[in-house]
Amino acid sequence: MGTAFRFDFEKCTECKRCMIGCSVEKTGLVQLLDSRITIERNWPELPEIRVCLFDACDGHPCIAACPVESISEKDGLVLIDAEACTGCEACIDACPFHAIRMRGEVAVKCDFCAGDPECVKACVTVAIAKGGA
Amino acid sequence: MASSMFDTLVRIDCTGRKGAAVSVGADLAPFIGGMGYGTKILVDEVDPGIDPLSENNKIVLTTGPLTGTTAPMFPQACIVTKSPLTGTILNCYAGGFLGAEIKFCGIDGVILEGRAPDWSLVLVEDGRVSFHDARPVMGKGTAETERYMKEQFGPEVKTLSIGRAGEKSVAMASIFSETRTFGRGGAGAVLGSKRIKGMAFRGTRAVDVADRKAFADVTARNIDVIKAACREEFNLVGMFSRAGTGAGMGLVNRRGALATKNHIYGVFPEGAEIDGWAYAKKYYTRAISCFGCPVHCGMLHKFKKRDNSDSWLRGPEYETMFSLGSELVNKDPVTLAEANQLCEDYGMDTLTVGVSIAWAFEMAEKGILKDPELSLAFGDSDSILGLIRKIGEREGLGDLLAGGPKVAAEKTGKGSIAAAMQVKNSGFAAWMPQMMKGVALAFATSNRGACHKRAPIGDEIMGRIDMDSYQGKAPLVREIQDTVNAIFTLVACRFHEFVAPKETYPQFLEAATGAKLTLEQFIRVGERIWNLERLFNIGAGMSRKDDNLPDRCFEPIKGEASKGASLNHEDFDKMLDEYYAVRGWTREGVPTPATLKRLGIG
Repeated sequence: MGTAFRFDFEKCTECKRCMIGCSVEKTGLVQLLDSRITIERNWPELPEIRVCLFDACDGHPCIAACPVESISEKDGLVLIDAEACTGCEACIDACPFHAIRMRGEVAVKCDFCAGDPECVKACVTVAIAKGGA
Repeated sequence: MASSMFDTLVRIDCTGRKGAAVSVGADLAPFIGGMGYGTKILVDEVDPGIDPLSENNKIVLTTGPLTGTTAPMFPQACIVTKSPLTGTILNCYAGGFLGAEIKFCGIDGVILEGRAPDWSLVLVEDGRVSFHDARPVMGKGTAETERYMKEQFGPEVKTLSIGRAGEKSVAMASIFSETRTFGRGGAGAVLGSKRIKGMAFRGTRAVDVADRKAFADVTARNIDVIKAACREEFNLVGMFSRAGTGAGMGLVNRRGALATKNHIYGVFPEGAEIDGWAYAKKYYTRAISCFGCPVHCGMLHKFKKRDNSDSWLRGPEYETMFSLGSELVNKDPVTLAEANQLCEDYGMDTLTVGVSIAWAFEMAEKGILKDPELSLAFGDSDSILGLIRKIGEREGLGDLLAGGPKVAAEKTGKGSIAAAMQVKNSGFAAWMPQMMKGVALAFATSNRGACHKRAPIGDEIMGRIDMDSYQGKAPLVREIQDTVNAIFTLVACRFHEFVAPKETYPQFLEAATGAKLTLEQFIRVGERIWNLERLFNIGAGMSRKDDNLPDRCFEPIKGEASKGASLNHEDFDKMLDEYYAVRGWTREGVPTPATLKRLGIG
């Protein structure tokens, strides 16, 4: 099991329920800045999505960028240890998908909700689904 | 206890260029939020007799207890102000993402008052207010103004803005927020009178609810209801989900109820060339949602303009397909889309603009009006687009129309008022009072003039009740007005109530804020607001004579499918008497002391 999404951008209506669902899952509250997935409007063209794309990511540079080794990978999941994170933002600069952001003093990213991602459950149009090879 | 309401508003003093947080007190809290807050604040703080464009007017911009939560179909923000178009109290709404961002600022809304010394842009970051120079965007359209604010303040801000029409006090000027519109009643002119060209919001606060488990349960059930509706072939919301709000135009046309050529006809033979399905078939189409909405009734189309350049538009919406389409005998989807774009750019209500143009075209046919450059012929693209420009610029004939259809007809005379399709100077929405008797009563008695949001449209057009009968329409219209006012305290999308059981609202409210109201108590809040609005309008000089419809509504609709449907004065007056009676008002339409006492007003 690893972080693996499948997107159909034509189906995305930019409602951001994926972001709302993620925010509630991670914090209990609604605040789009707390979402680990971001839908960015690009009218009239299709939206852009910012989330960890493990399979498409060459070498996972966030792991090497972290000076305190707070980021690790196991079975395709790249996780940040919030206790160890010093908030230096090196991983944010390193991520080619702009999928890591600061919340409070620490960096946060998608953890794939232990294999059952809330964003996928929240998407009404199935624009985002669990993927894989 | 946690609540989705922050119990805080920001009072923005435009004159002094500063903001200050104010707490929501015990007098305001029973009004729940949204339209309830807006109405209560306006009636308490604004003299109904004022000039709406004077610095004494206020704009109350609010959200409700479900804004910025997981509840589906509650994305909108609400504005209440005194309307420069109607002279009444006005409430109007825009969807998109503005409402949620206001909440993320840790506030439930703002009150704008006074008049800025210079044209300004207002930035609200969390609770903090700052004023910025608007000179670089003066004279610019709404989209360009929004783009500028995102450049200045950051791409993530959510904005509202006015175009040239709002700068020039055009009475039907609107306020735009990323293509969603505080459309009706001229709120854009009020914002312009405060010398505010635009506002931007950016918030870092999060929205909680009183009972997270209960709220998640109500949300999940509600989403299932909406999804089921979206799967039904002949459910209106389902049709909107598939082809936008213009999906039902064919159905209205078949019933002979599609207002055409300034409400003379009830059928537009070319309707199928400009409805939602036509746009979806002809142009690249992508569905777009407001914040958290599973219906996605917004339809983004890419199309080529008349000059063959590439362009795009989110819309047109159904009401615009009427006002800039069938009402103008305009069967060209490109002209319709460009007319919609022009209204967006100038920042104007497509409804009152279209209705005003339809009236001008008819007066030109009769030889009463003419224009040096435009033929003013029904269906003529250059005349439609040219006249929209002239209204936005207040130029020539456009200056006459910029005051609204009633004002224009009164200045023109020669009996032209009979064909001005307006109530209280607000242009009709897409419906035919001649045919739909409940709509007739709703248009006539609306507190904001010719309002389709509180009319039994679904019941009448879908045939659940006899649209041609006056029977039972008075209590029905009263119930709808009160119910819709109540759900607008939550700032619900109007379509939500089409599919959601009404019990959903008190359930959501309790889970969000802890406030326990029965459905009956909830709807009584709506009635209370309705009566406060009425008192304001009476204070502004309105009376029974203003609860009327233009003479055209008392003439038979032409065309076979409409079966000569018409209103007659005797039955209409009886229905109005009955309506006043079920409201507990006098025969002159004034709430009685007993009614006010029952509603806890006064």
